[in-house]
Amino acid sequence: MTQNRNKLIGLFIGNIANAVVHKILELAIDDELLRNYYGKELLNSVEIARKYREKINPINRPLPEKDIEYIKNKVINKSNSELKLRIAKGYKNINLDLVDDIIDKMMADMKIKD
Amino acid sequence: MVELISRISKGTRMDQIYIPKERMPGFELGATVLIKPVLEKANIRPYYYNVSNLEPIKNIIIEEIMNYFENFDNVIITGSFLEKGFDFEDIDVLLITERKADTSKLESHFERDFGIKLHIIAIDFKSLLKGLITDPLFQMMLSKFVSGKRVIFRIKRKINYKLLDLHLLESKVLIGNFGFLPGREKYKLIRNSIAIKLFMENESISLETVNSEIDSYFGKETVRNIRENLLDKSFLNKYKELYDRIFKDILAGIKNDSKQE
Repeated sequence: MTQNRNKLIGLFIGNIANAVVHKILELAIDDELLRNYYGKELLNSVEIARKYREKINPINRPLPEKDIEYIKNKVINKSNSELKLRIAKGYKNINLDLVDDIIDKMMADMKIKD
Repeated sequence: MVELISRISKGTRMDQIYIPKERMPGFELGATVLIKPVLEKANIRPYYYNVSNLEPIKNIIIEEIMNYFENFDNVIITGSFLEKGFDFEDIDVLLITERKADTSKLESHFERDFGIKLHIIAIDFKSLLKGLITDPLFQMMLSKFVSGKRVIFRIKRKINYKLLDLHLLESKVLIGNFGFLPGREKYKLIRNSIAIKLFMENESISLETVNSEIDSYFGKETVRNIRENLLDKSFLNKYKELYDRIFKDILAGIKNDSKQE
């Protein structure tokens, strides 16, 4: 059971990290017209993460503090390493300072935390 | 039957129809009345681009959609609805408009009235053209369509690597969630990656060219096997290789662009 829960949390982390990277890259697009358009589209990763969340106990209330901390740290590390890879290749306008806030918002939205 | 003609006017919480205080019998306060549009539906003759042999029922549905959204600048129907058969989840509709449109409200109204699910994208014409120039998915989507008004797209492809990066990231979902996704979802994600590949190789993009590239890259019958969710882990390894290669090319493109800035 615990192994299953850990696996679900791992899958959840992967999808949330993907969504965070997507959000930051969206904001880095120079063209306002395109940025506004793509900003509205709902991401697959968010939808999939939501499905995993619905299977992680406790379902209807926030997760224990240690899970929240673990998930957040993992998502930060994954997102940052993806984004830094791009920065190293000369990708401009990537704002790493936004990562923390975006993760908090997504975690609250998915009832991982308050 | 006695009839009254009036105009719908905008209210704060609800819209209303004003009628004169002095009016004929049958229109007393509290009377139940029927309201319906007074103008006949315009005779719409849809424009078909690369679409042939649609099932007759689909033409009826197309006409209903065109009539329903006749107040928009143009209506474009695309996607799997235009393919042979009835293997579609919803009907993709592009509403061309300069105004803001509440697409989820429109979708639910249409579903309530006709029992048909639409996936609506409301977009102004300028953004649509920009999308077509830079976005492989837009190109695939508009390689086949039916529109309310005739429209011809003459565009020159422009590679925006940042945008392609964003699109490819969507397909990364397949790698981490391979065992959990249904065939239909897998197909969409693979199709997305292949469309990006063809776009970067300056190849033509349509559902047919994308499907044929999937079969040629991964082996015969792959498209069918993806949809039926019959793929195994060896496919995933090959997909990872492809994904990494496309991603590498995109990063190289970003690097190159940044040098020129």
